[in-house]
Amino acid sequence: MKYAQLIRLLVGRELTLRYKRSVIGIGWTLLNPMLTSFVLWVVFSFVFASKLPGTQQYAPYLMAGILLNSFFSQGVTLSAESIANNGPVLTKIYVPPQVFPISTAMAGLVNFFIGMIPLGVVCLISGQNIAWTMPLVLIVGVCLALLTAGIGLTLSILYIRFDDSRNIVNVMLMILMYFTPVFYPISILSERLQKIIVLNPLTSYLDVFRWAFSNNAVVTLSDWIYMISTSLISIGIGTFVFKRYWPRTVAML
Amino acid sequence: MAVIEIKNVNVTYRVLMNKSGSLKELFRDALKGNARIVNYVALQDISFNVDKGEVVAILGRNGAGKSTLLKVLAGVLPPTKGTSKVDGKIAPMIELGAGFHPEMTGAENVLFYSALMGRDVKRVKERTPAIGEWAGVTDHMNFPLRTFSSGMVARLAFATATDEQAEVLLVDEVLSVGDADFQAKSRERMNTLISSGAAVVLVSHDMNAVRTLATRVVWLENGHVKMIGNPAEVVAAYEAN
Repeated sequence: MKYAQLIRLLVGRELTLRYKRSVIGIGWTLLNPMLTSFVLWVVFSFVFASKLPGTQQYAPYLMAGILLNSFFSQGVTLSAESIANNGPVLTKIYVPPQVFPISTAMAGLVNFFIGMIPLGVVCLISGQNIAWTMPLVLIVGVCLALLTAGIGLTLSILYIRFDDSRNIVNVMLMILMYFTPVFYPISILSERLQKIIVLNPLTSYLDVFRWAFSNNAVVTLSDWIYMISTSLISIGIGTFVFKRYWPRTVAML
Repeated sequence: MAVIEIKNVNVTYRVLMNKSGSLKELFRDALKGNARIVNYVALQDISFNVDKGEVVAILGRNGAGKSTLLKVLAGVLPPTKGTSKVDGKIAPMIELGAGFHPEMTGAENVLFYSALMGRDVKRVKERTPAIGEWAGVTDHMNFPLRTFSSGMVARLAFATATDEQAEVLLVDEVLSVGDADFQAKSRERMNTLISSGAAVVLVSHDMNAVRTLATRVVWLENGHVKMIGNPAEVVAAYEAN
């Protein structure tokens, strides 16, 4: 593919640039989920740790949730912004605009895998072994990248057309986080609320991820189907919407 | 052989009259029922060809549609109607340095900018020292771009953009940058590129440059082609206008 070299450069830039001016540089990618998880662990472990069923451990449960949720919400906002941010390029040089959100999603995927190193450490400390199903997290990562890229593509059109849409998206992402069992076990909720939470696709992604990584959740076949089909639907809708509206939107950059 | 072939190209921008740049305003206007959409015609029924080795200059006042036409030719703005066909590698010399990032080093920026223009990364890596030397910034290539002076940035952008010969050259008033010495040097390189057999489309307000470089001139007015023909005639008519 002609633009593979460009995508590789973009992914590299995305990974190194965010923390370029800090002393530990890319180390922040490791430190960020650890610090967030630590703070939440201090606050919530007293409340929720005893509510987890069976042998599930709260520390890896929480950290897996933080890791996946930050991949999702950062991926969505960054890939949606990437088109508007690269407006000066896109109005002068022909580059398929999709390379920017795709590179952002791929950089997020790399960060996600880097974040699994501290997650593995936390698992071992809390006395949970990394499961033999671990390689399956690759599928979770790819599905999540497709999901974020698809939503990002759709939102990128909205971001260019309406300045205030990004504020609305940020609020929505926060609400969505509370509707995902990131830091609480789903069993603490009432039965009706549980039904709503299960409808959220991210719940399936998260359960599959926790199960595959260290057998820290219960998953069914329907979780897998829900995860894979939502990722495909998302990227499908994203590419369609983008193709349809891009010609008019590029004139607004 | 026509390298650039544009036929009946129309470009219409849809402009919301009340300039609803936000969902809030759009919602408010929709409630009041006055979100009117106005079509602004930027280009109307433009057709011309550019052959290999030809230099076509575009004349016109501000807002005549010159930049829009260059965007259509560069492939970044799809025409609303009509077709634009360009064969071969395009080198867009439009506001050089698009995509330069202040936190990346000079060398990284050269590489990235070249990749955006579709060049081969491996070859650019070999060329980078030569590009830096030509721009006169060899000592700075490994420092972030934010430490460069604006003249150095402009020189590096020019050196990168003109480093490789392309089949199609789109030029928007970038004939010279930097101090007097570099201006002479860059003007010379630009003239070499233009006269080296590429198909060139040139937007310029400098009538002397147009007269000496162009082989044909297109005069745009309010999105129409007002006149098309040999440089001496069209420039004379344009200046009389």
